Amino acid sequence: MTVLLLFVMIVGFLLIGVPIAVSLGLSSIIFLLAFSETSLASVAQSLYQAMAGHYTLLAIPFFILASSFMSTGGVAKRIVRFAIACVGHMQGGLAIAGVFACMIFAALSGSSPATVVAIGSIVIAAMRQMGYTKDFAAGVICNAGTLGILIPPSIVMVVYASATDVSVGRMFLAGVIPGLLAGLLLMIAIYVMARFKNMPKGEWAGWGEIGLAFKDAFWGLMLIVIIMVGIYGVPGLTGAIFTPTEAAAVASVYAFLVATFVYRDMGPLAGRDGAAPISLLQKPQALVTALWHEDTRKTLFDAGKLTITLMFIIANALILKHVLTDEQIPQMVAEAMLSAGFGKIMFLVIVNVILLIGGQFMEPSGLIVIVAPLVFPIAIELGVDPIHLGIIMVVNMEIGMITPPVGLNLFVTSGVAGMPMMRVVKAAAPFLAVLFVFLILVTYVPFLSTWLPTLAMGPEIITK
Amino acid sequence: MSATGSDPHHKRGFVDTLEETVIAVLLGAMTVITFVNVILRYVFNHSLIWGLELTLVLFAWLVILGISYAFKKTAHLGVDAIVNMLAPGTQRVMALIAAAACLIYALLLMKGAWDYWAPYAALERTSGHWFPTGFEATRDQAWYETDQIPMIGLFRWLEPLINQGEAYDKLPRVIPYFVLPFGVGLILLRIVQASWRILTGKQSSLIVSHEAEDDVERVARANEE
Repeated sequence: MTVLLLFVMIVGFLLIGVPIAVSLGLSSIIFLLAFSETSLASVAQSLYQAMAGHYTLLAIPFFILASSFMSTGGVAKRIVRFAIACVGHMQGGLAIAGVFACMIFAALSGSSPATVVAIGSIVIAAMRQMGYTKDFAAGVICNAGTLGILIPPSIVMVVYASATDVSVGRMFLAGVIPGLLAGLLLMIAIYVMARFKNMPKGEWAGWGEIGLAFKDAFWGLMLIVIIMVGIYGVPGLTGAIFTPTEAAAVASVYAFLVATFVYRDMGPLAGRDGAAPISLLQKPQALVTALWHEDTRKTLFDAGKLTITLMFIIANALILKHVLTDEQIPQMVAEAMLSAGFGKIMFLVIVNVILLIGGQFMEPSGLIVIVAPLVFPIAIELGVDPIHLGIIMVVNMEIGMITPPVGLNLFVTSGVAGMPMMRVVKAAAPFLAVLFVFLILVTYVPFLSTWLPTLAMGPEIITK
Repeated sequence: MSATGSDPHHKRGFVDTLEETVIAVLLGAMTVITFVNVILRYVFNHSLIWGLELTLVLFAWLVILGISYAFKKTAHLGVDAIVNMLAPGTQRVMALIAAAACLIYALLLMKGAWDYWAPYAALERTSGHWFPTGFEATRDQAWYETDQIPMIGLFRWLEPLINQGEAYDKLPRVIPYFVLPFGVGLILLRIVQASWRILTGKQSSLIVSHEAEDDVERVARANEE
């Protein structure tokens, strides 16, 4: 019963506008002081250890940094060009290209809002010019942007892996097939709508344009190769080269080098006010000055700030997690559910519902930290695969991002497209239905998630 | 979104620049140390044994120091859907209650941060379960060292002061943990300032609704131009 009080307190704080992190932390501290002997010193220690004691979570700042360098530079523009060259000539081609571009960008960045901002700011305007309605454009990007957390790398998956001690590498691989499938489903839905409503199609620019666009986007696309080859190695040739955390750090350095010295969209070699970029030969000192150039500092700072706000929430969610495990809540929930005779299916439905509701109030990574330890023991008991459970949770988060009232992607899209929230909600609704079908598919067809990681990394060992 | 230098719409003072630079430098250092360690391992078959531990310490410093900055700039995430539906008067009352909650949080955490750090600095922790009622005798933990991070000359003055003149082999824990009382103190300061701004009507809430608010604003501005 007292635990119910804890949750009432959290929701109450959230609703009156207390920051999420403080709502979680303060409620947990009050609970600990009132019902246990835990000292405030150990709460402070948890806050410090949330960062210093979690090697897995260290991947988060690095993935955010890599994605910041990629979005500050004009990589998004090049990816959009490549996507349009590939599928732009189909009916509804620009919209399909938008989805395709979101999928590629999702493979460079671990966050959905970042994907919507980077791709949406280019594609929505382009679709308007081609004669699509603004609503349709916003709906497409809003939904396709959610793939950011499903297609690896993904910050939410890193958090899940850390909360449940499964391997980050496995989680990332598990997201590949569902990610491609979700993108494909969205594309098919768009194509069907395009045929019905006779939407515009682009010109087929030929294989030459595909080649040129690919060459232009090559350095950005290589980042995906570095991350994937780094974490998994080349099949048959090498084993894994880095841990996911190291891969993220290498990716950030690579992204910095590409944005500053290859594309020269930022840093000392960038052409200001429309001028052409400067050659490194003319300004060799740039190799050194780039390190403390204003653009570098700004990008590092932006990534740092996002890391701080996310980690503040995660750290406090970890304090709440300690409270819950101390009170043996996961065991109580598990027992209650098992004795009520819920089977696998009913359990998965309940997980879906909890996450869909929770996603209305909470930032996805914080929610995962809290919910994962609650449902994980039951899942193991019922024989649900931990990796599969992780993918189900991620897809639920995706849907949470585009359902009102607090869908993260809805806010971002409404800002990027300059449309009121309610219009974005309506615009996103048809595609939301597609994602719901996808959720059901992913939930009840486990091998979509587990086949690839098992193939690449062998069967997993589940310890109860 | 081409390269943007400093944002003209956004006036920054010296302290802002200092805080932003600290955040950037900490993240940059974490990235470089991790990257260099990977290169050393694969190319030179060697590694900085203290690299990982130092990176994790910097990670903790980045976040704990940064939390205060985010309070100052109202960058923490929260739910504003409900609050936005209320009348302005009620909104203000809610914001004040929220500020009070943050103040209590920071005060409790301040006691915790001091109590945790003090023994490592050969100081006394406070007594009392939640309210500091005074100082109590505490077992000295100043001789605790980090696992791998080497001691540097810069901190030798600590040895006579807290370690009875004995030399440290590794960096003593008092240094990495110092971020707790210092960072939480800053958090407390920034929350007091934000609460004051709400009280005087210069600010209406403590939260933003999503993480990409700055970026979205930048795009919206670019669309207008």
